[in-house]
Amino acid sequence: MLSFIRKRAIASLISLVGLLVLVFFLSRLTGDPASLFLPVEASEEMKAQFRELHGLNDPIMVQFTRYVGDVLTGDLGQSLRKARPALDVVTEAFTWTLWLASITMSLVAGAAIVVGSLAAFRAGGFFDRLSSILSLIGASVPDFWLAIVAIVIFSVQLAWLPTSGTGTLLHWILPICVLFIRPFGIIVQVVRGSMITALSSAYVKTARAKGIRSGPIIFIHALRNAMLPVITVIGDQAASLLNGAVVIETIFGFPGVGKLMIDSILQRDFNVVLAAILVTALAIFLMNLLIDIAYALLDPRIRH
Amino acid sequence: MRKTIMLAALILGSALSPAYAASGPIKIVLPEEADLLEPCMATRSNIGRVIMQNVSETLTELDVRGDKGLMPRLAEKWEQKPDGSWRFHLRQGVTFSDGTAFDAKDVKYSFDRIMSDKNACESRRYFGGMTVNAQVVDDRTIDFNVDPVQPILPLLLSLVTIVPEGTPLEFVREPVGTGPYKLTNWTPGQQIVLTARDDYWGQKPQVTEATYLFRADPAVRAAMVQTGEADISPSISQLDATNPATDFSYLDSETVYLRIDHNIEPLNDVRVRRALNLAIDREAFIGTLVPDGALLATAIVPPPTLGWNPDVKVFPYDPEGAKKLLEEAKADGVKVETPITIIARTANFPNVTEIMEAIQSQLQEVGFKVDLKFVEVAEHEGYYSKPFKEGRGPLLVAAMHDNSKGDPSFSMFFKYASEGTQSGFSDPKVDDLIRRASAAVGDERAKLWSELIAYLHDEVVADVLLFHMVGFSRVSEKLDFKPTMATNSMLQLSEIGIK
Amino acid sequence: MTAHTTESPIAEEPGVIRRFGRMLLADKFAFCAAIFLIVMILLAIVGPSWFGDIAIKQNLRGRNLPPFDWERGWIWWMGADALGRPLLARIIVATQNTLMVAAGAVVISAVVGTVLGLIAGFSSPRVNQVIMRLADVIMSFPSLLIAVIVLYLLGSSILNLMLVLAITRIPVYLRTTRAEVLEIRERMFVQAARVMGASSKRILFRHILPVVFPTLTTLATLDFAYVMLAESALSFLGIGIQPPEITWGLMISQGRQYLTNAWWLSFWPGLAIILTTMSLNLLSNWMRIAFDPVQRWRLEMRGSTNG
Repeated sequence: MLSFIRKRAIASLISLVGLLVLVFFLSRLTGDPASLFLPVEASEEMKAQFRELHGLNDPIMVQFTRYVGDVLTGDLGQSLRKARPALDVVTEAFTWTLWLASITMSLVAGAAIVVGSLAAFRAGGFFDRLSSILSLIGASVPDFWLAIVAIVIFSVQLAWLPTSGTGTLLHWILPICVLFIRPFGIIVQVVRGSMITALSSAYVKTARAKGIRSGPIIFIHALRNAMLPVITVIGDQAASLLNGAVVIETIFGFPGVGKLMIDSILQRDFNVVLAAILVTALAIFLMNLLIDIAYALLDPRIRH
Repeated sequence: MRKTIMLAALILGSALSPAYAASGPIKIVLPEEADLLEPCMATRSNIGRVIMQNVSETLTELDVRGDKGLMPRLAEKWEQKPDGSWRFHLRQGVTFSDGTAFDAKDVKYSFDRIMSDKNACESRRYFGGMTVNAQVVDDRTIDFNVDPVQPILPLLLSLVTIVPEGTPLEFVREPVGTGPYKLTNWTPGQQIVLTARDDYWGQKPQVTEATYLFRADPAVRAAMVQTGEADISPSISQLDATNPATDFSYLDSETVYLRIDHNIEPLNDVRVRRALNLAIDREAFIGTLVPDGALLATAIVPPPTLGWNPDVKVFPYDPEGAKKLLEEAKADGVKVETPITIIARTANFPNVTEIMEAIQSQLQEVGFKVDLKFVEVAEHEGYYSKPFKEGRGPLLVAAMHDNSKGDPSFSMFFKYASEGTQSGFSDPKVDDLIRRASAAVGDERAKLWSELIAYLHDEVVADVLLFHMVGFSRVSEKLDFKPTMATNSMLQLSEIGIK
Repeated sequence: MTAHTTESPIAEEPGVIRRFGRMLLADKFAFCAAIFLIVMILLAIVGPSWFGDIAIKQNLRGRNLPPFDWERGWIWWMGADALGRPLLARIIVATQNTLMVAAGAVVISAVVGTVLGLIAGFSSPRVNQVIMRLADVIMSFPSLLIAVIVLYLLGSSILNLMLVLAITRIPVYLRTTRAEVLEIRERMFVQAARVMGASSKRILFRHILPVVFPTLTTLATLDFAYVMLAESALSFLGIGIQPPEITWGLMISQGRQYLTNAWWLSFWPGLAIILTTMSLNLLSNWMRIAFDPVQRWRLEMRGSTNG
């Protein structure tokens, strides 16, 4: 296991560096931050001076060498727009995102596995049909609908919860509930499908034939076998949350990494883009590593 | 006994309350967070709305509520000397929020800091094409020698925020100023808090503390004032402005227009440009896609601006006339069938998609071939500003321009002079008028600007001017505040009363 | 859907259409879903030519006309949008672009992802490592940045739009397939097949793909909804479909600001997306049973008792 992790870490590090190099060069092909930072009336001299000030006039290889040098000393550069270290900006936002993503995904995973398995147990039954329809609606509803409607009902009409912002635990309820729905819908469907396959597979039938009548034992046995695709999809959904929940952040004024990333991409604040990708990529790489370890734990036959 | 005293106090209190208005903290919800609170960037609206005249003050101030014109702020009075330079007499007894006293050296330093090459201060753009030399005469007097002579220097100085001498030349995140408030808390992504200063030189404002919150969604901003989570939202959507007790509309100094690229056929033909203008039913937009109260534009600057010309009439909606002009042009060999592309920026202003789709269909109605292309901000900037791309087709760039500063010079050079960065043409008479008007003063200045506005609109048909937009704000009923034309770029807390 | 029917080995048997038709009738939900999808495909084909003109006819006086006004023509039953254009006609016209982009993006990502996943699961550890780390990189690459880069380097077109959407969805298919392959290849029957000398290709297509397939179709049908909604976000950047062209996703985002005043602007296109996703999902659940020799009896039993 340890040698597996070591190999994996090296490979991940190489691909992380590759990712950053790719982003560094590609993002610089997409336009000039000077004309975005300065007002449209700014003269060419002002723009030229802005580029000079931030080293954007140098040949791209010189910029790259300088960036690599800075990164090696632990400096990810300054944010063009915020005049503060890019890494600070990103870690602040990412802390919020990480909390939101972990709370939401824990709730989603728990609820979806229970609902999905119950639906699979009586496939075609009433509960299965109901949960399927609801989860499919959940998976295909535009998230801003839910967000705005939730605010209108729970904050404006009933005045139970604050509309938006941060501060108290109450502020977390609406964002989490809205964020919950789409991944829940998807994972319920995946759990259901893979449980149906597992329950109809040969060994569960064998177990039943052998006279194991107890529901829970069969259930748990099947669940264990159904988990591989389920955790993969949970991982996929978690990754998209770790990249930031843009709509939620925009509507609820939640200070996460998603809106920061979009704003920095649109404003060509390259240092923040790179720092944000570095941080989210680290989290996603780590999560995928944990998922691969989980495969091995679930099914000891899988070796890496 | 105690009861009667309390009762007396109560009666006295209530009797006195009209005279001593209440005071207290308020919350303001804005659409966009300030990325930095740098005084020399205060002319950018997301920064200016927080710090302009609240934390950082200027020498002069334009009256946007009445018609007092330019008013004193940190300067008590000013005069132009015979050689054309300006002398400013500064207010005494003013201190910065860090405790240091304000004097002429701070003014010079602030000015030099803006011009420094160690930063990218935005307010420097107002001093393009001139050399300004600030000279300290004594602690409370400063001279500005400007080459060439600058008649509106006092107005320009209403855009220069004063920082204490010794402020780093690089951008700062914690502004120090002479204003009635100081920054006491800034949690990026969440809130900015300004607290009233006890040692402010002027009248003590009623708002003791202002908390700024940031929400990108207009419906949420409106809901926050409704639920009491905020007291003022300076910009909400027209659709949410349904409660007359709290919601106000105001002319917000933004002008929407289509910039025409005169260099490319068929837009180089004045008949074609006139046909574009006649084909658009501007009236039909008002009260539908553009809110009631918006004005049809005849100039790139809104009416209260110096030299705005009431004699220039909006192009009538005349599709037949447009068709006829196009036929004439066609008969003369102008390729009027060349597809014209409208470039618009997504989310540039409310309903931009629908407005542009409607304009496209109105233009097609009279026989133009029109494509519509929506682009993100960086790409839009590439189309809007020079250098223009080689090999481009005929383009109309939809853009919005903001001038709440009372003088057309902030617009005309950039939008219409041959050298202007967003100018789509070159006309010697326009260049000459701009040059002369910029150097003129008083009535002569107003007359020249009026002449330019008429010439651009009627003779050159420089662009397709559309609307002076209105904004909507929601103000809690417990506050006494009317938004003005400048609310987009500045929100003075001292103008907010608490009922 | 039809492609699978013909590829399937069962298709070679006689009377297969009738047999499947009967099985489809046996599951009423799947039957309705199939009808709905056929109608949608027909609308996608004829919609733009039949309703193209009425869908772009503006009428500023009839803005945001509410739905269910039976006095007016049927085309107005869903109300009108912010420019007074009938929503029903716009939804019909938008079907073509919407389904084309969604199907394109989902098929590209599913096929590429599955193939890469199979390769990763089956080849040497080194190749596996390379492919999987590539998936990690794609997963952590913000889709908006991919979009901006594609926009600047390749320009905007419908094909590029599909490409951007497809790239971002590859990792989930890739990872799911690989995970299943890792497990299945250790199973008894695969080991047995291998001992008996079956080629890797045969093992792959005969033994492994059928087991992976149901999970992948579930994912793909759900991705349809995701892609239809995500596509409108990219229109914001000027990639692919922009007004005056329409898609359901674009209609939803245009109706966003009217959500509290004129809900119907974004409701109908949203409903169209939900119904399409649901139909695809019901049909794929039915297919899972219909194509599984072990479970097929369920449908056939019901089919024979019904018929």
